[in-house]
Amino acid sequence: MSAVLEVSNLRKSFGGIVAVNDVSFTVHESEILGIVGPNGSGKSTLFNCVLGQLQPNGGEVRIDGKRTTGMRPCDLNRLGVSRTFQLLQVFPQLSVRDNLILAGQEHQGSMLSRLIGPADAGLGVTADRMIAFFQLNALAHEPAGTLSYGQQKLLDAAMAFTAGPRLVLLDEPAGGVNLTMLTHLRERLAAYHAERKATFVVIEHQMEFVMALCTRVLVLAEGRVIAEGAPNDIRRNPIVIDAYLGP
Amino acid sequence: MNRAGATVVVAAAILAVSAPFFLKPFGIFMISMWAVLTIAAIGLNLTLGYAGQVSLAQGAFVGIGAYTVALLMQAGYPFALAFVAAGGLCFAIGWILGYPALRVQHHYLAFVTLAFTTLVFLVLRNEQWLTNGIYGINDIARPAFFGWSTGGALNFYFFSLGTLAVLSLATWWMLRSPWGRAFVALRENPIRALSLGLDTRRYTLMAFAIGSCLGGLAGALYAPLVQFIEPGSFALGMSFNLLLMVIVGGSGYFFGPFVGALVAVLLPEWMRIAQGYYLIVYAGLVMAMMAFCPSGILGLIDRLSKAVFRSRRAAPALGAEGPGIVS
Repeated sequence: MSAVLEVSNLRKSFGGIVAVNDVSFTVHESEILGIVGPNGSGKSTLFNCVLGQLQPNGGEVRIDGKRTTGMRPCDLNRLGVSRTFQLLQVFPQLSVRDNLILAGQEHQGSMLSRLIGPADAGLGVTADRMIAFFQLNALAHEPAGTLSYGQQKLLDAAMAFTAGPRLVLLDEPAGGVNLTMLTHLRERLAAYHAERKATFVVIEHQMEFVMALCTRVLVLAEGRVIAEGAPNDIRRNPIVIDAYLGP
Repeated sequence: MNRAGATVVVAAAILAVSAPFFLKPFGIFMISMWAVLTIAAIGLNLTLGYAGQVSLAQGAFVGIGAYTVALLMQAGYPFALAFVAAGGLCFAIGWILGYPALRVQHHYLAFVTLAFTTLVFLVLRNEQWLTNGIYGINDIARPAFFGWSTGGALNFYFFSLGTLAVLSLATWWMLRSPWGRAFVALRENPIRALSLGLDTRRYTLMAFAIGSCLGGLAGALYAPLVQFIEPGSFALGMSFNLLLMVIVGGSGYFFGPFVGALVAVLLPEWMRIAQGYYLIVYAGLVMAMMAFCPSGILGLIDRLSKAVFRSRRAAPALGAEGPGIVS
């Protein structure tokens, strides 16, 4: 199994606070890695450093063996790395379908070809397939801002998958989503994974969600990796329990 | 666009073509001014309404365009060339002015562009060797094309209207292409847009450059329309006025600038019946409009038509088919 994402000795500090402290891990092809840890343990900062939203102070990120540290998010995305955000990030005034087309339109052709080419950038079929896959059919032409929170979470995930990424980083996909929607979302993620063999990294607090979806779990606390292993072992690991519940 | 919208657009187009035949020369001059300033407002609507980049510099681009045409025509170049040069120059300057927008947004960006407008005004006023300073440029000729002179008020109006039609079609094409979607994404959530592969830097600069280019093209028509330009016309007042057109018409609505320019150009004239008070009445109307309908006239119409549409649609539809996501 080849490594899709390699993070070595990554470090990010904000003033005196070290949010990510010497973190190293590897994610292999078609693996689903869960990253858990208490609030403020550096999970989202780690994501932002991997994805170019933040510049790390030290260390290195490699994707498919290629050094990507410091690359812009848009260039990384076009390399096949996509993400969802912890807080909802859809385009509220665009329709659901347009949100999905937007998520794929920059992956093909040039600026000029996008200006003179078809309005849907040739992605109408792809968008409709994503709409069907995430069962958003009734809402395809509604502005994304009018969807419920859970539906927007689904759309957010669908957008991350539109361009057929190789590596997807999901930041708390289950946050604030009710149980029915949660099961649906997890089932859709698992289905997508099975179909495309994409590699996932998932930040999540909801342990049931992590246990059901992930093949391996990494635990962060205070910016460091404190444990790593199979989901069931992690749940019983005293260090992890300690980090979550405090001494 | 739905059928009702299309009907309104066709009716408006017929009105725009027939209106000058019922107007005196001053009236034709005013509707020509409407056509010209609508082009500038379309540009600002692109930068501000669609791409979300605040700009108080559109009046300065109208000035740069107007002076470019006036000076080139004085030097003996044909209008067509001067027109293209005005657009090209404003595109380039607009691209450069976009760089601050990559760093700052909202009111900070407003101040950057405001300073730019002041700078352009100072250059137009102080660089006498080039611009003739406060005396301005007189006797700007109206162009002729293949023997068709735009010298008369009526002909110049149709020339302006034709240019407006061509430029709005081009803008409409761009906004319905993936670029339009990208501009809206830039306005609504630049961080998410970046993570979806959008080169937000390039789109921001492009939004500024194209918006400014339309400002310059409006200026290229403004100079032969008024036939006398001076720096004061392109000071902050014009930038604010263009901003007003975009906001009153409905920022981010394609036809917003058309409606906004109509209000901002014609309403003050119609209200002259209120004599000395007409500007006070006008200001009052604008304030009331902004307080009660910040999304502009088209925003208001949009809201009303949706309300009518909803009430007309049978209520049980929501419960019956419902947005059943989880099956």
